[in-house]
Amino acid sequence: MTTFSLFDKSSKFDGIYAFFIVNRFQMLYLFFLMPTYLLHPFMIWGIVAMAVFSQLNIWLLCKWLESNYAKKGYQGFVELFGVRMVRLLTFIGLILILIKITVITLGYLEVIHDFIFPSMNSIWIILFILLTSSYVASLGMKNTIRFVVIVFLCVFWIIFLYYPFFIPPIAALHDLYPLIPTNWTTDSWKGLLLIWSSYSGPEYLICLIPWIKPQQKMRKYLTYANALSTSEYLLLFIASLFFFGSNYLSKSKYPIIHMIRYLQSPMFERLDIILISLHMFLLVFAISIFLLCIYGATRIILKKTSTQPSRMGFAVTCIMLFLCFVIVNNWIWSIEAEQNILLNIQIWLSGITYFIVPTFLLLLTKLKRRVKA
Amino acid sequence: MFWKKGKSIANDSSDTQKPVPRKISLDSLKQVLNNMDDVEIIERTTLNDQKVVLIYLRTLIDQDRLNESIIEPVIQCPHAMIYESIATPKVMKIQLLEEAQKSLLTGAVLLNDCIQEQWLVIPLPNELGRGIETSETETILYGAKDSFTEQLEPNITLIRRRLPITELKTEKYKIGSLSETTVVLMYIDGLTNPEYISIARKKISEINFDLFFDSSQVAAFMEEHHHSIFPQFQQTDRPDVCAYSLGLGKLTILVENTPFVLIAPITFFHLFQSPEDYINRWPVASFLRVIRYLSFFLSVALIPFYVALTTHHYQMIPLQILFVLAESRSKLPFTPFWEAILMLTILEIIKEASLRMPTKSSQTLGVIGGIVIGQAAVQAGFAGKVLIVLVCISTISSFLVPNYLMTKANTLIQFGFLLLSSIFGVFGIAMGAVAILAHLNGLTSLKQPYFSPVAPFYWKDWIDLFIRGPLTKMKSRPDHLHPLQKWRYKRRM
Repeated sequence: MTTFSLFDKSSKFDGIYAFFIVNRFQMLYLFFLMPTYLLHPFMIWGIVAMAVFSQLNIWLLCKWLESNYAKKGYQGFVELFGVRMVRLLTFIGLILILIKITVITLGYLEVIHDFIFPSMNSIWIILFILLTSSYVASLGMKNTIRFVVIVFLCVFWIIFLYYPFFIPPIAALHDLYPLIPTNWTTDSWKGLLLIWSSYSGPEYLICLIPWIKPQQKMRKYLTYANALSTSEYLLLFIASLFFFGSNYLSKSKYPIIHMIRYLQSPMFERLDIILISLHMFLLVFAISIFLLCIYGATRIILKKTSTQPSRMGFAVTCIMLFLCFVIVNNWIWSIEAEQNILLNIQIWLSGITYFIVPTFLLLLTKLKRRVKA
Repeated sequence: MFWKKGKSIANDSSDTQKPVPRKISLDSLKQVLNNMDDVEIIERTTLNDQKVVLIYLRTLIDQDRLNESIIEPVIQCPHAMIYESIATPKVMKIQLLEEAQKSLLTGAVLLNDCIQEQWLVIPLPNELGRGIETSETETILYGAKDSFTEQLEPNITLIRRRLPITELKTEKYKIGSLSETTVVLMYIDGLTNPEYISIARKKISEINFDLFFDSSQVAAFMEEHHHSIFPQFQQTDRPDVCAYSLGLGKLTILVENTPFVLIAPITFFHLFQSPEDYINRWPVASFLRVIRYLSFFLSVALIPFYVALTTHHYQMIPLQILFVLAESRSKLPFTPFWEAILMLTILEIIKEASLRMPTKSSQTLGVIGGIVIGQAAVQAGFAGKVLIVLVCISTISSFLVPNYLMTKANTLIQFGFLLLSSIFGVFGIAMGAVAILAHLNGLTSLKQPYFSPVAPFYWKDWIDLFIRGPLTKMKSRPDHLHPLQKWRYKRRM
């Protein structure tokens, strides 16, 4: 039997992979919902403002990635926090990842249910998605990270299909007015939070540092990723403003997907089924990466870092994740009120982690350095 | 127990016991060659009454040359130094019985000089084999027409003629305990990455099996992913393809008795490249290559798409096409999935039959395939007209992929997609695509990523990936092959 080397660190990846990962993590699921919460055209500035803040965060993150602690990987964290603290933080991280992965998977599942298979038992879809993800993850972190290039190539071009929404006869420039807010409500703040939360994703690079080459012009690549995500958010939001208009945006739960239902080709009357299916690439990639992170985190918590990863341990992680998805889907996600609570928790948590984690790590590193000096 | 877990051929101690080396004697040789009808043992006397014994296998040596090069000169030898009279350059003295056996079986003549009490080996192999012909598996309209044969030496010559440089190295190995097959590892020293060479050397020397009749079997032992449906070594019978690959920084493995040479490391995309790509004008070559990729996609996904649409997503089909489809399927007793499975299975049977059938029967096959299965299946209500058209498109598309092994892999992927599409529709196909691409991403050829230059991402190599860029722009060798010499032209100082 061949060795099961999930966390083989034999090869390191360039900054370009960080670009792909960050950009795709920022386009995971929340952007499907974004126009529903933003509503007003002036939220275009919200996207831009959050992009600037996100850039600031990326700068902090890059600063930390350049530090000696980051280069040492797990050992660096141990030096920074101590073993006990690392285990505690890993446990917290594990819960955060679990919430994120559950929300994106079940959210995507709901999209499939609403648009493709309204009558199919969702457990089957969960099972097959997780089987595919487990297969991708079982090829190891190295191959999973490399898979992001394929994911990007298979999914990125979808954005260009939205161009007809910019040129229909009903679209007029005044759909984008007012660009300056006349009133500011709690919903607007929620909208900003959603944008911020959508931008979260770069912080997961912290889990992947052993596989990324240090000092590979990371700042440049992450800036490009952030800029690309911003332009995608803007394009999609403006397209939905043109298509639905500000007044009707809140009526649709998934405006971005609904828009695609109106796209036609001479071959297919509805392209949404194909495009939603293609989004699977991104979902599978995210689940695989998070699955490996969950397994890695569990090994840290159980003090098993010195032993080889086992097939059994990985299989148990996959089964636990499957059970988690099924339980949450049946007991929480199927009830709308509870679904909203879970979604809000995820939005808040990813917003908070994206804000705190890079700052916290950088501050602590500086502090530690000063204490040492 | 009949089968014991973990017990390999190499571990069997009874097999690995080496015989004690014995010195050659006429009696021991006769004992070894007992019951071999083609053995000839002849005695001759020279001019100065010296007795010599010649032993050889009649079927393996060139008998005309035997007279000219050995018997005649030896008989007329006036002095005691017999070996000086033999008219072939490769005469060797041996002492061990094992060496004698090996030499005899490779087409050599054993000569026993009774006065000097020495045994000489004179290689005189029968150069039996076909001439150099046109490649049948990779036919091209323009370009070189020669192809490899079953003999090693002419194959090496064909490559050496294209690469007349001393840096082109050949390393010989023997594999197969019964077949004693010669394998030649070829590479350009100072260009091919030494890592590949050492991996290949290690893999070849670790091969432990009895029979090797084809390069595919050698590839099977050298591959890192035995259960994958994708070939991890390119097989070609074209010397120009081999020479081009060597020039890019790959290595080749020639196997005795097969005209197919192994090329490694390869990527998935190399299997879509045809020798004609580098003969056509670059826009034409690029167009044809894109068509090839499209055909691959069509061959694996067209029928599954049909099943997905007709089973799960009728709403995706435009109304006019829906009418045609409804009319076509109105009298069918099967679901689209079973209809497709039936037609594709029959088609595979026809394809296999066409390969095994004598040429004269091929006309019958055409009639059966075209009229009976096509026309009659529709009239009998076994398959819809639309499906027949799609099956035809899909099958023809599958033949556009230049690599035959890849074409076979297509079929399996198609069946897999078919199953998924019948359960999950388009979503199932996407799921299958994710799995296949992830699998390709995880594959390696000589431990190099199989899906480069896409993943890992080498954007500069894309000039010869989906399109074939102008040759004048391809100034550097592909980065993903990590050659020791990057540039393909001499740089001015």
